[in-house]
Amino acid sequence: MLPIDAAAHSSRWRRRHPVEKAALGLGLTLCAVCLPPWPGAPLVAAATLAVLLGPAAVPGRQLWRAFRIPLGFCVTGAVPLLFAVGGPGGPVSWAPDGPVHAGELLLRTASASLGVLLFAFTTPVSDVLPRLVRAGVPAPVVDVALVMYRIVFLLLDAQAKVRRAQAARLGATTRAAVWRSLAGLGATSFVRAFDRAQRLQNGLAGRGYDGTLRVLLPGAPVSRPFLAATGALLCGLVALTLVLERFLP
Amino acid sequence: MHIAEGYLPPVHAAAWGVASAPFVVHGVRALTREVRANPESTLLLGASGAFTFVLSALKLPSVTGSCSHPTGTGLGAILFRPPIMAVLGTITLLFQALLLAHGGLTTLGANVFSMAVVGPWAGYGTYLLCRRSGAPLMVGVFLGAFVADLSTYCVTSVQLALAFPDPGSGVAGSLAKFGGIFALTQIPLAVSEGLLTVLVMRLLAQSSKGDLLRLGVLGRPEPKRHEGAAA
Repeated sequence: MLPIDAAAHSSRWRRRHPVEKAALGLGLTLCAVCLPPWPGAPLVAAATLAVLLGPAAVPGRQLWRAFRIPLGFCVTGAVPLLFAVGGPGGPVSWAPDGPVHAGELLLRTASASLGVLLFAFTTPVSDVLPRLVRAGVPAPVVDVALVMYRIVFLLLDAQAKVRRAQAARLGATTRAAVWRSLAGLGATSFVRAFDRAQRLQNGLAGRGYDGTLRVLLPGAPVSRPFLAATGALLCGLVALTLVLERFLP
Repeated sequence: MHIAEGYLPPVHAAAWGVASAPFVVHGVRALTREVRANPESTLLLGASGAFTFVLSALKLPSVTGSCSHPTGTGLGAILFRPPIMAVLGTITLLFQALLLAHGGLTTLGANVFSMAVVGPWAGYGTYLLCRRSGAPLMVGVFLGAFVADLSTYCVTSVQLALAFPDPGSGVAGSLAKFGGIFALTQIPLAVSEGLLTVLVMRLLAQSSKGDLLRLGVLGRPEPKRHEGAAA
């Protein structure tokens, strides 16, 4: 199991309805994207971190491990904005407002990533997928996604084992050996994926499979107080940003 | 390269979502038709999607000494056809955003357009062109994977250039800037992905010939086939 999904399965908010967590996490993400980056993004990031580490009780170390990946992309993505191409300054020069734009982009992407992480760290994908049918996604697509979700972890486990076996057989000692090993790994993943699907099909056929994958979902009512608090938090962030924008430089 | 969460301005994020929607809807219809006609194909399609996800987790050695990962769209499009890849690619990108914090939800539309729409169609088109012009299978596979990878990055460059035009030279200058940065790493990576795809396909031709025949990659495809039916 991947670390974020493992954390979601043992989250304090695991039993909350996904709609509540989507409203909060994705609402914060939308605020981060739509509000002015200064002072909106730092406010949204602070609120998201407070929720993540406070009520949602996401361990700080796990959060940092997951967050540093998008943070790395944010930093590398902001660097090109520091430079201008062509123009009076020569082929490549410092962009006049480059640091400001790069800083704003960094703030926006970092706070938006935290919002998605809030949703991901509290909501297992297996809780979301079956509910998508009610949101209008065709059932066959949801079924395919459910099968994908189940098989992905098995394949990743198998891939890790094959990789260890290849390394033990000196499959990573030279560049040529690395390429051979990678090709073997890709082909093995394909064969195992189809083999696993075939066996699943045989197993389901024995249980009277009629084309529908029925999944039991834990009954979790949508909490109106939670949604009201979410709405209040988001409205408060929007209002505070718009007020502070007038007074801050 | 996935565009990170929050990287695109809201209007751009929404516009790319609208641009990719028809392709995804077309793929969803093809997939739904296929699953209703053959319920057992749900499992094969799920396995195909899982394979795409796992393929993108492979670490490719890069010329700079670092590692990157293949997009997997070329091989996926050759094996499962572009309409199906639009759906499988969208689900894969959604899983990557939620399970790996790679990509994002507001940038999902832009990432789907580059990785699940343009990449597969460009790669599959090149592959078909090669096959119809009588080129050997592996030449078609190499060029298909190469073009799929490279077109994905070209579209990403355009998306970034439109979102962040250069202060001096506008969108064209920005396109040169982002394209230049990607070219340093992505042209060697596209070649690497092409080579890896050829190696994978050669192994598959030896170990899973039956599957490749059923998918229509080896030999003649079945005459009455819906789009993506082979998957």
